[in-house]
Amino acid sequence: MSLAIAGMGWVTPLGRGVDSVWEQLLHGDEASATAISEEFGHRPYSVFRVPESALTGLAHPRLRRASVISRFAAAAGLDALRAAGVKLDPQNAERTALIFAISNGGVIYTKRFYRDVVDAGAQSASPLLFPETVFNAPASHLAAILGVTGATYTLVGDGAVGLAAIKMAEDLMANEPLDHCLVVGTEEVDWLSCDAYWRWRLLRLTPPIEPFNEQQRGMILSEGAGAIVLARDGPFTIECAHPGGYFAKRAEAGEILKRILRDLSRSEVDLVIASANGTFVDQAEYRALKAVVSNAFVYTAKPALGESVGAAGLWQVILAAQALRSAELPPVLHADPAIALQLSLSRKPLVEARRAIVLSCGVNQQAAGLRLAIR
Amino acid sequence: MANPSSPNGKKVSARVAVVAAGVVSPLGFGLGETLESLRKARDCVSPVTRFSVAQCRCRTAGQIPDDRLLASQGEGIRGHRLHRASHMMIQALREVVTQESQFKPELTVIGTTSGGMSYGEHYYRSLRQAEKLRHAPTWIANYPAQKPVIDAQQAFGISAPCQVIANACASGTNAIGHAFECVRSGRYQRVLAGGYDAISEMVFVGFDSLQASTPEKCRPFDRHRTGMVLGEGAAILALENLESAQQRGAPVLAEIVGYGISTDNFHITQPDPTGVGARQAMERALQSAHVLANEVDYINAHGTATVFNDAAEGKAISELFNGVPVSSTKSMMGHSLGAAGAVEAVFCLLALQHQFLPSNINFSASDDDLDLNIVANETRPAVLRTVLSNSFGFGGTNASILMGKFQA
Repeated sequence: MSLAIAGMGWVTPLGRGVDSVWEQLLHGDEASATAISEEFGHRPYSVFRVPESALTGLAHPRLRRASVISRFAAAAGLDALRAAGVKLDPQNAERTALIFAISNGGVIYTKRFYRDVVDAGAQSASPLLFPETVFNAPASHLAAILGVTGATYTLVGDGAVGLAAIKMAEDLMANEPLDHCLVVGTEEVDWLSCDAYWRWRLLRLTPPIEPFNEQQRGMILSEGAGAIVLARDGPFTIECAHPGGYFAKRAEAGEILKRILRDLSRSEVDLVIASANGTFVDQAEYRALKAVVSNAFVYTAKPALGESVGAAGLWQVILAAQALRSAELPPVLHADPAIALQLSLSRKPLVEARRAIVLSCGVNQQAAGLRLAIR
Repeated sequence: MANPSSPNGKKVSARVAVVAAGVVSPLGFGLGETLESLRKARDCVSPVTRFSVAQCRCRTAGQIPDDRLLASQGEGIRGHRLHRASHMMIQALREVVTQESQFKPELTVIGTTSGGMSYGEHYYRSLRQAEKLRHAPTWIANYPAQKPVIDAQQAFGISAPCQVIANACASGTNAIGHAFECVRSGRYQRVLAGGYDAISEMVFVGFDSLQASTPEKCRPFDRHRTGMVLGEGAAILALENLESAQQRGAPVLAEIVGYGISTDNFHITQPDPTGVGARQAMERALQSAHVLANEVDYINAHGTATVFNDAAEGKAISELFNGVPVSSTKSMMGHSLGAAGAVEAVFCLLALQHQFLPSNINFSASDDDLDLNIVANETRPAVLRTVLSNSFGFGGTNASILMGKFQA
């Protein structure tokens, strides 16, 4: 069964709106890094944050005390539904499913909640903050805003979780009498998550992200959300949502990526939206791309937008759709011209491009893929 | 029982068999110990020992003893570094693999709420209190929610892709329900499904801050109920297309016959007091199974023993069912959150296999507002063909599954 993308919504460090962000990427723009610090931290980290202007006009009682991760998700989800021309009412709300992809979740409120416990004891714990620390809080808020009464799921994983969520949507729509499935990937950034990735040797302190570089200098975290409305009909077809798998060791990531690419490239593909982010992921992807789809154009937006982990897979799908729709690719920023892949270092027209692969390799052992076609 | 040629004409693609199950909880390690504890209606809640609860109202929980749990170290991976949640998942999966070594899943769907949360707590405390962070990479690497699932699969050479559902306290039932639908639709032949959660200070304090947990005994559906206690555990069910299972001669322990999911949008922590969310989940499970309410022989309720949950769930049950026996097994082991739905599915499986009603312990007085047939304090023998298990969670997420005794 193939599904279609009927609408998309995008909240990124380059602002909100699919066309607006895409135009900036085509012009070679990249997000501005902000330094964030912590009172007990020894070092600041650079991150790509969503500008406050991106959430202008977003007001709902359920979002009054919600963390930014829920606001990003609501903004992207509402935009995607609007783009798809879907207006939910009590009659069709039951026939719409909501699937969220999340990695670190509401880390800002989680840290604040536990800080009070550590500093002043359990009696200082806030009953207002605790519910916002739960992984499915963002999905719950958006379900309430939309009035969804049917299936709502939150999937947790690494950078591949967005594609896992789309795979789950495909399974759901095969089973249920559903008209639409809104899939949202969302993430917020905090000093604590930066410190965790840094201690795990996956983060660099300042930009840029240098994709596919042999020197794995690390990633820069970012935040935001991406949303797609899946329907029976729409301008883009998800021809194959590959279930992917996991790798036990980083050195084994390349093999699973090759397997995914082989399965997805049985139909001719024109481009690959990769997940290269300046970590070990890049060399695994490089080897797999070189071995399986060496003629396809390759693009990664992470040097421009950062690594948004739970949101990243949805961002990649939006990038693939936009590339097919506009028949061009933005420049890959901060890439070494000597890298032996079909990387476009400048804005690149795509002649008669029909199919794209989205490849997601997370830093916590998961990998997945997807093939998208324009109708 | 599920009827392949349903009266409303809806096509049921495949029957879904449970061909193996594994469990670890405060009630015991494995199906045998769990069955004995259920039959004896054991109270497995004890004083919390893993962290300080001096400032909490509630000071008890259902806990799995580390001396037995950590004896599962050394599955070819660095066992001493793994989180307790990984050890629980390894324990549960070992039992599944021991029963069904030929079961090769195409997908694994597991529910959880907090992954390796206590490692996140160690990391944050060490940062905050300027202590040594030598172990930080281990804590960080073992914190993600998917890690215990991958560790368990890796320990037994299983390479299926993982979907980790975090739908709060409904996660385990959602995982089994989604896996059931994947097999029933014919898209998958074999799926592993279940849930896990290990107790952690942050979550314990969180429920205490909401005054949802009790300093007293956990008394689901009792007039004098004062709240929940937390628990922990892991459970995994091996689901397979019935035809496929029979062709290869696999034992069929029971069938999953229906699944219902709903979202009630009332409040992020409280259920809709009308019980509409719970009712919709149960109704949808019945519709999914093509089973009538009067064909259900037992309900394993969500039954957290909070005033609001039990009132809403009790109202929904009494509106839909007429005198069906109900118990909350959380009275015996506490609420294991993301594991609860999976652990309770295993309890239902044992009830179906051994034809008894698990009990709702600590029950002293009926709530006049709830018209329920509570299985109070003692296990009862019963003829069971179809049983329902409920799980409801924060965010207004509600899930119900129906299981049936296997009849060829």
